[in-house]
Amino acid sequence: MIRLLRNALLGLGLLGGLACGLLSPEKSFPNPHPSTLGMGQPVCTDCHEEGLKEGSSMLYSSFNHSPAFARDHKLPANRDSATCATCHPQSFCADCHTGKGVVSPALKLADRPDRISPHRGGYMTLHRIDGKMDPTSCYKCHGRSNNQTCIACHR
Amino acid sequence: MKSCNFLLLPVAFLSLHAWGQEVSFNSSTLLQYWRQGTPGFETSTYSPATQFLEVDATGLGQEAISFHFYGWGRSDLAEQTRVTGKNTSDMVYGYVSYRAPKGNLEAQVGRIAVNQGVAIEQVDGGTFLADLIGGFTFSAFAGVPVHYRIFDESVQHDYEYQRDLIAGGRLGKRFDRFAELGLSFVQDGTYPGKKLNGYNTYDFTRRQMAVDIRVTPNTLLNMSGRTVFDIADRMDLPADTQANNARVAEHDYNLALRLNPQLGASLTYTERNFRAFYSGTTLPSLFNPQEPGTFRSQGVAFFIGAPTSRFQGVVDLKKTHRDSYGDSLRYGGELRGSVAPANLKYGVGLHRVNADAANYSGIVATFYGLAHTELQGWVTYEKDRMTAAFNAIHHHFDDPANPSLYGKGSLSEIVGALGYQATPDLKVSCDVIRGVSSLMQAETLFVMRADYHFGWARKEGVK
Repeated sequence: MIRLLRNALLGLGLLGGLACGLLSPEKSFPNPHPSTLGMGQPVCTDCHEEGLKEGSSMLYSSFNHSPAFARDHKLPANRDSATCATCHPQSFCADCHTGKGVVSPALKLADRPDRISPHRGGYMTLHRIDGKMDPTSCYKCHGRSNNQTCIACHR
Repeated sequence: MKSCNFLLLPVAFLSLHAWGQEVSFNSSTLLQYWRQGTPGFETSTYSPATQFLEVDATGLGQEAISFHFYGWGRSDLAEQTRVTGKNTSDMVYGYVSYRAPKGNLEAQVGRIAVNQGVAIEQVDGGTFLADLIGGFTFSAFAGVPVHYRIFDESVQHDYEYQRDLIAGGRLGKRFDRFAELGLSFVQDGTYPGKKLNGYNTYDFTRRQMAVDIRVTPNTLLNMSGRTVFDIADRMDLPADTQANNARVAEHDYNLALRLNPQLGASLTYTERNFRAFYSGTTLPSLFNPQEPGTFRSQGVAFFIGAPTSRFQGVVDLKKTHRDSYGDSLRYGGELRGSVAPANLKYGVGLHRVNADAANYSGIVATFYGLAHTELQGWVTYEKDRMTAAFNAIHHHFDDPANPSLYGKGSLSEIVGALGYQATPDLKVSCDVIRGVSSLMQAETLFVMRADYHFGWARKEGVK
């Protein structure tokens, strides 16, 4: 196992070294965001003129946190976590997405109902209904990790 | 590993003291209290205390080197709340990072939280991300997967043995303004159940590949999605199984249209094949890889109002189909708005779910309905140092004979939160949550929380 791990890390180093030689000359995204952002959903085009975000192939408007963006953020986050990291500390994501949860997102963010965090409103009862209709939506968070509460009943 | 978590912390603090140019600590303390009555049993009292801690230190020797830590610890001050014991903790991440000034190059070593294409993992190892010339992007990671306690102690050893190593990454190609294509891969564990002795029926390993795409030819259209393939060397299933052996784990696609500055639409399509999608599950009793058939859903949503508008509305409809269960249709809408001078925000939503009856195989086989209506509303308000939030959700069920409802026809939950910003770095608040337990018994939960920031750097980002 140690040999495998050593080889994997060596491979990662070699790939990294190769990538360094092919590195884009574009300036890295600032991290953190150079100006302080307020609470709530940011609108990038309030300050940035419409156009390509430097170092990215996407328009600034693509990152505006509209209700549509909040609902469908998983795909852009999978592709381009560096852009998320410009404004969000990683702990922001971990409020909901974590391998071993300790309190539900709804409880952690009880004072932020605007974030529509999952498991609000009697979810211990509701999950039996949602789970019948679509168990795959539970799987993303509870299928391979974060299911220490589930095992109390589901063995 | 748990003890290692705590050992790492003082070591990290020492290094921060020695090298830290800008250090930021963010702490959240939650103290919960509730009583739970179960018919036929004595009333139980629970009072867990949970401490979250986040540390960010930048400029460690060089400007480009930083250290990041996030973790929590929890202790039950009254009766035990978790099956794993009264005291528990976890290091979510803790790594040293190097960020280059060009090409978004970043290398991280330590416990990392990976989100790269098909891989969303906690890994003890390293990762590397970079934008390359020609519009290519590259990311890769390798290490030992973080192990969790699983459902069956007797197979915990197999679980840890099988998941000995994890590696993966993503290669992407961006076409300016127009599109992005990506290919990602993950290999989780090198000892699949098939390679172990014949008595082992669990396979906790995973080998998946995904193709993802984004097409944005103009500001009006954004199509994105991905297809995930299960490419593992699987165990043979019993001959009489009806499991769906498709190798496509998931299709997940979204088409977003901006019809005008005030009106947008979103179309979604999802299809999941259970055996491939549940690959590597640690809870097969709940996520059964041998379930026959597929799950499919189609959705449409219309968004009214620009992000800067005082009012934003959503009207949505989603149809789902699970071969082994049937169909459901969820539709409704939500309106949210703000009154800027008063720092007041609010939202109301109404949704209806029509669903096929579910089969209940008890002593007498019968069916029960899952259809219900959901109504919710929320308000947040800020004035000077005070913050307040209120959220109410009500569900009305068509069929109280549903065994999950214990004869009740509806359930409600009300959440009230009052906060006080004592200093720029300290906020204290109290939440009161009135809801129901899993047995539909009314219960009240009290939460005291304190959010504290200290250090030598300004806390950036948004929450």
